[in-house]
Amino acid sequence: MTEWPAPRPAYRRLGMLALLCGGLATVGAPRQAEDAAAARIDYLLHCSGCHRPDGAGAPPEVPSLLGPIGRIVATPEGRAYTARVPEVAQAPLGDDRLARLLNWVLWEFSADTLPAGFRPLDAREVGAARKDVLADPLRARAAIVGHYGELEHQPSPAPY
Amino acid sequence: MNNMGVRRAMLARWFDAATRRTTTGLAERTSRRGFLGRLGGVLAGAGALPLLPVERAFGAEEADEAPLPQGDAPEVGGLTEFGDPQSCDYWRYCGLGGALCACCGGSESTCPPGAEPSPITWVGTCRNPVDDRQYLISYNDCCGKAVCPRCFCHRTEGAKPVYFPSKSNNVLWCFGVASHAYHCTVAAVIGEVTEEAEAGEADAAG
Repeated sequence: MTEWPAPRPAYRRLGMLALLCGGLATVGAPRQAEDAAAARIDYLLHCSGCHRPDGAGAPPEVPSLLGPIGRIVATPEGRAYTARVPEVAQAPLGDDRLARLLNWVLWEFSADTLPAGFRPLDAREVGAARKDVLADPLRARAAIVGHYGELEHQPSPAPY
Repeated sequence: MNNMGVRRAMLARWFDAATRRTTTGLAERTSRRGFLGRLGGVLAGAGALPLLPVERAFGAEEADEAPLPQGDAPEVGGLTEFGDPQSCDYWRYCGLGGALCACCGGSESTCPPGAEPSPITWVGTCRNPVDDRQYLISYNDCCGKAVCPRCFCHRTEGAKPVYFPSKSNNVLWCFGVASHAYHCTVAAVIGEVTEEAEAGEADAAG
């Protein structure tokens, strides 16, 4: 679980780039593993209570992070959305650590559905996005990706 | 009259003989202690039946779902601990509010038989005094049975209920389970905190 994200296409391309850059490959790989391990701890501490350690969530109350969630980041609005979700935006983490955490979640749980050529979220865009916390995340998500099968659930008429 | 008197006497003798045969036969074939033993077995068996680890919370329609994982994460298998898991002072319980499952037929990281662990919970950190390292603790509630009246604890390390409702030790975490009835709480170790993550927490808290 600590290697990040070894068998996945987006990372392989990054790996090739690192190899091309020669010396970077030797320095970059352990650093990424460390980042992934640290991001995983942040995930366990701040997210896994509801989304569960394996990302499966508890639908319909807590959406799953597995699979289709990678489609959200195909658009600029979707990229921003990930950092505007209330508990994400307000997480007690700096912008760089929040960006690292979001990228880890996307790669760890939704690598198969990430858009081709996905560019990792960076601290600056995450920092800008999280200032604009969503009041109604379900409605915002539906506007960005529509319905995605059994993971989608209807916005509740209840006042929470 | 005389005839009637003879018949009555014969009937009485037959009745006496039959009663004697039955009672002596019963006394020969059975023993008092054997009967008491069997009666005791039936009584104890009937009493034990509701205690069997029957999963009550899961409905029949969810029977094919994999049971929720219980216990500590495999990666912290070599954890060395010291202390009494039935005491509120045990290191893992530094943010636990509720009844200890270890006092209620479960353990510090597993629910008692018949209670279902809530998948949704809150996660905090506690320092293990044995190795002086900080560990991630998942405070899962065990649900689906009446509240366990033993070992109530209230410790708040890491809990920030007002500012971060998702980090509250005092709310009922029986979400995503068949029954919202609270029984007790476990403290499962789900990972170890690195120094960097710890520093970040301190920054965020300050």
